[in-house]
Amino acid sequence: MAETVDLRIPRKAEWVAVARLTVAGIASRLHFTIEDIEDVKLAVAEACTNAIQAPDGGAFIEIRCDVDGDRLRVAVVNSVDGAAPPRAEVLDEELSVDGLGVFLIRSLMDDVEYEDVPDRGKQLVMVKRLAS
Amino acid sequence: MSDESTNVRWDRQTTRDAFARYSAKREDSLRDELVVAHLNLVRYLAVKFANRGEPLDDLIQVGTVGLIKAIDRFELDRGVEFTTYATPTIVGEIKRYFRDKGWAVKVPRRLQELNLAVNRAVEKLSIEIGHAPTVAELAAKLDATEEEILEAQELGQAYNLLSLDTELGGDGDGKSQTLADIVGADDPELAMLEDRTVIARAFGVLSGRERVILHLRFFESVSQTEIAKRLNVSQMHVSRLQQKALEKLRAFLAE
Repeated sequence: MAETVDLRIPRKAEWVAVARLTVAGIASRLHFTIEDIEDVKLAVAEACTNAIQAPDGGAFIEIRCDVDGDRLRVAVVNSVDGAAPPRAEVLDEELSVDGLGVFLIRSLMDDVEYEDVPDRGKQLVMVKRLAS
Repeated sequence: MSDESTNVRWDRQTTRDAFARYSAKREDSLRDELVVAHLNLVRYLAVKFANRGEPLDDLIQVGTVGLIKAIDRFELDRGVEFTTYATPTIVGEIKRYFRDKGWAVKVPRRLQELNLAVNRAVEKLSIEIGHAPTVAELAAKLDATEEEILEAQELGQAYNLLSLDTELGGDGDGKSQTLADIVGADDPELAMLEDRTVIARAFGVLSGRERVILHLRFFESVSQTEIAKRLNVSQMHVSRLQQKALEKLRAFLAE
């Protein structure tokens, strides 16, 4: 019964605010608290920034939001076939500031993981649940 | 790429060595070194929260408290890098600061106010400039970001208070309830919530450092001597700051 919102933005920093607002609107529909909404916005902005900084991403960033009950799942991926994942390598490595975004995201969302997308490399998937 | 990237690169081996020495000897000078070496991490994280309406310096200060906690609790043999370990601790401390400041109460209020201000400014600007203003013009006029304007327009309404006579969705049997029908009696917990909000507001009159001290002293029962060590000032100084902070709080609550 999940409902899905797909957003595709140019892979440019000035479009990240649109992603933030869109996700804020979706989280607000789920009756997330204002704090959780801010956290989701920040996490999505970080994920987009990672995607923008990836060395060989495509022209777009795709953001898919799945709403399922009280659970919001956001997947972020570069748009190009075979594009480098948005900084997947930093899962095991770290220390350069490029990698810190993922740790920030981890401390904001309930679940964060990388998933394989056929022919597309990896996408960053993060989940936030309505606080009970 | 942010311009901080060059600063925020530590030599892993140096960091590990420093932690190995610190965990063996627990020397303050080593801890200071570790704190200084990771202030960039605190800054990097604090900046991410800087658009939430609190001064960056305060965020860096509470973030530094988180950093110190992380340094004291970090164990090398867990096999994770320090930054991995410290990030959630620092973010947690920053987020707690927002909660202590009553942020979740203030933001909806600010959005509501901004929502009203936007409506007023639209009328005013339309007359002044002869056409309906753009979001950018509204943002400039109201000293807000464009994103805040858009958000206030969308979400500001969602936080409007409901009237007691607001009809709640009926379930088809014709007897729709109003909000007044389902509101119960006074709830003591609610009064406590109000106390908490007042205290959170009262904390707003304190400086960042005063808040940190009161927080450590009364919420975490840390001794003045220990706080002095953490903030790298004398115990007397902590005592004075604490005294001053409590006086400020009393004055605020007496109002």
